[in-house]
This record gives sequence, structure tokens and C-alpha cells, in this order.
Amino acid sequence: MVMVDWLTAPLQYEFMVKALLVSGFVGVVCGVLSCYMILKGWALLGDAVAHAVTPGVVLAYVLRLPLALGALVFGVGAVWLMGWIQKQTRIKEDTVIGLVFTGLFALGLVLISKTPSNVDFLHILFGNVLGIPTSEMVQTLVVGTVTLAVLLLFKNDLLLFCFDPTHARAIGINVTGLHYLLLTLLSLTIVVALQTVGVVLVVAMLISPGATAYLLTDRFDGMLIWSVLSALAASGLGTYLSYYLDAATGGCIVLVQTLLFLLAMLWAPKHGLLRRVSRPG
Amino acid sequence: MPQTPSIAVENVTVTYHDQVALYGINFALPPGTMVGLVGMNGSGKSTLFKTIMGFITPKTGRVWIEGLPIEQAQKRGWVAYMPQSEQVDWQFPVRVQDVVMMGRYGYMNWLRIPRPLDRRIVEMSLQQVDMLPLKDRQIGELSGGQKKRTFLARALAQQARILLLDEPFNGVDMKTERAMIQLLMHLRDTGHTILVSSHDLSGISTFCDQIIFINQTILAYGATQEVFTPENLNRTFGVTFPEATS
Repeated sequence: MVMVDWLTAPLQYEFMVKALLVSGFVGVVCGVLSCYMILKGWALLGDAVAHAVTPGVVLAYVLRLPLALGALVFGVGAVWLMGWIQKQTRIKEDTVIGLVFTGLFALGLVLISKTPSNVDFLHILFGNVLGIPTSEMVQTLVVGTVTLAVLLLFKNDLLLFCFDPTHARAIGINVTGLHYLLLTLLSLTIVVALQTVGVVLVVAMLISPGATAYLLTDRFDGMLIWSVLSALAASGLGTYLSYYLDAATGGCIVLVQTLLFLLAMLWAPKHGLLRRVSRPG
Repeated sequence: MPQTPSIAVENVTVTYHDQVALYGINFALPPGTMVGLVGMNGSGKSTLFKTIMGFITPKTGRVWIEGLPIEQAQKRGWVAYMPQSEQVDWQFPVRVQDVVMMGRYGYMNWLRIPRPLDRRIVEMSLQQVDMLPLKDRQIGELSGGQKKRTFLARALAQQARILLLDEPFNGVDMKTERAMIQLLMHLRDTGHTILVSSHDLSGISTFCDQIIFINQTILAYGATQEVFTPENLNRTFGVTFPEATS
């Protein structure tokens, strides 16, 4: 009964119902995308794009454009810029990524400090799912649904793109197109996740669920399912924790995700540390 | 009437950062032939494969696949390519049958949902390389030879008329190699054109109809019994092969 009360008590507040819905939904979208990020090795790129979209989001806010548009332009633009710089100079990829994303993030911070109504922009950095306005909630749901639909429709093409782009090219599949498709989906997912955890922690949403799932299964469909389940569990549990501890929601969600990853690392059926030790041979 | 060559390479030159990798490459492979590509490491064998596949744009010259540019031949699924070392992540969560199914993607609609026909062809291809019992294995749990056979099965499932195989017998045991050669000869007999590179010189002369000797440019090209001579081996490898004729 205590457990039931623990779960139902916060639901009398509309803001908690909204927060649970949004963070759960964000968990599902991020759970699916994170599988591709893990398998493509785009974790660092995901973090970079998440920071690089900041000025885009601020500008879109000031110009009253959809935040998704600003994020998309800066997200895809940042990756294009990284590629261009790498071609023009002798600087290695990881350095270029670091340069571009910190540069754009700094631009975002300067724009934030020069714009009135600073409070809203703190939400860009750290998320504010408990106070999410209905208009932004609708935007999150629309952008997230579109992203999720495209991810699932192109599931197999994107999987092939991650696994073996050479073969994809050999059978006449447009690999460059898939590259930019995944990049666009990444930028859109970041917009979706911004409300919940903010720019700084969004990379956790983009990689933790996939990493956890990767340890639990050797099948891609299984990975998708585990990833979504672990992201959902983290979003739900994290939001409740933040309510009871009166702590930052984004931080709580990411902490639960990290905890789930550690549990998988220890007890995963085949790849877990404890299983490996106890198995003979 | 002359047949359209399966692969026609016309006056191809490839450079990497001003270094010449290939120059003056000309040949036309007739349909239904098995052609061996022989040369030292660094002689441009893999570069030639990648150029035929359109992954490298040649500085001069053109490549034609059955009279079409490579991009169009690829869209039609005509060309299967097995790179020298698969640049794939072996920990990737895909099973043997998932990999072979990727050979069928070109035939599916854009949702890539396998039809019963695709499943049947995947099973047949796995059967042909004797990998059917391992179809549910995650690919990282395979031996080197089993990995090669999996990717060969994918090429079979693609039902391409032209197969480009870069060192397919690398890291493969003798028994598997013999089985793979049997399979390739059967494919050749059913009209496929196969370009295969190998560093196993004595082997390649026994099952190839034609041989291309390469070292940045073509040193010799022709029917195996005519060009597989000590002189050509000598020119290709720069060492003497007194007993290479057999």
C-alpha cells in the first residue's frame, strides 16, 4: 500500500502527470535513437551536436521560430562545418569536434546572456520538465513522434548504414543520404530531449539506454526493446525521485540511467562482469 | 557479334595525393569467366576493386559494368563485392542470417521487410556455403573461415551476376577454401563473372580461366595457360620462380 501511495500521490498534480508523460515519451525516442548512436560510434558526435544546437535554439526562441528548426540548422550545420574544417586543415577529427562544439556552445552562452528573460534559457541548459508549458509539450510530442516514425520506418536501412556502409553502397543505397538522415534525426531528438534534461545532460539520453541494452542482448530488435524499456524506467523513476527528493529532474533521470547501466554491466546474462567471472573457461 | 563485357575498364589511372596507384589499366572481362587478379601487396589490387565499385573516382578513364556506369549496375544489384578485410564491427548485434538477409535489401521495397522468397533465398545461400546450422550465431562468435563464408553467402543472396572477391581465401582453412572454389566454379558455369584476387599463386592458376598480372599497371592479361608463365610471375613479383609452371 505504501508503494501504491508512493506512486499515486504525485499524480494529483497536473505538472507531475505532464512531466511523467513527457519524460517517458522522450525516453522512448532517445531509447530508439541511442541504439544507432552506440552502434555507429557517434557518442562524442552526439554530445557535440547537443552543445552546438544551443545558439540555434536561442535564436529560434528570440525570432519566435520553432525551436526544432533552429536546432536542426545548427546541428546539421555544425557537422558540415566539422567535415569542412577537417578537409581544409591537418587537424584530427576529435580535435575538430571539440573546437566546433565548444565554439558554438560559447556562442549560445553569449547569446543567452545578451537576451532578456534569462530564466527560460537556464531551462535550455538544464531542462525543466516539471514546468513545461503546454505549447512546448505539444512541440515535443509532434517532433518526437515524427522522429520516432522515421527511425522505425528506416530501421533496416539505418542498421545497414551503421553495420556495413560499403555493402550499402555496393547495392546502390544512398549512403550519404542515410548519413544526413541519421544526423537530422539526432538533431531532432536533441530538441525533443532538451525540455527534459537540457543541453548539458542530453548526451546521456542519447547513449546510456543503448549502452545498457547492448550488454543485454545480441539481437538488434532485442537491443531496441531493452533500450526503450530502460529509458522508460529511468524517466519514470527519475521523475518520481526528483519529486520526492526535490532535486533536478534531468539529473535524477540520468542518474537512474547510469545506475541501470551499472546493473547491466554487472549482471547482464552473457556480457555481464559477474557472469563472465563465474563461467568456467 | 561481340558480347558486352561484364566488366570493362578503359584507360584507368588512379592517384592518391599525387602518388600514382594505378595507371593505364585496360581490360574487358567476358561474361561467364573466372578471372584471377595476381600481384604483390601494394600492387593496387584492392584499389582496382574499389575503383571498379566506384568507391574511388579514377583520375582518368571509365569503368563499365555490362555497358552501364557502375552506379546504375549497383542499383540493379548486379555487382556483389567482398572487401579484403570486412571493416565491420564483429560485436555488432546481428546474426549470420541477418547479415545474409542484407544481400536481399536491394530487392525489397523501401521498408526492407523480407518476403517469403527472400527468406528462402537466404536459407539456400547459407546452405550453399554450409552455414545453415550456424544461422542464429552472433557474427562475433564465428571463426575466420565462417566469417568469410557468411559474407560469401550474402553475395550469393544478392544474386549478382558479377562477383568481386578481394582475397576471399585469407584466413580460411584448406577444406573451406576447396569448398568455396567448388562453389565459385559452379557459379562461373552458370554464367557469373568472377574477379578474384589471391596471393596463393599455385591455387589460383588451377581454377581461373584468365589471369591479370598487376603492378600499378597490367603486366599481362590472358588465358591462364598462356600468361601463367615463369616470366610473368617473375615480372610481377620481381623474384625468380623456376618451377612455377604446372
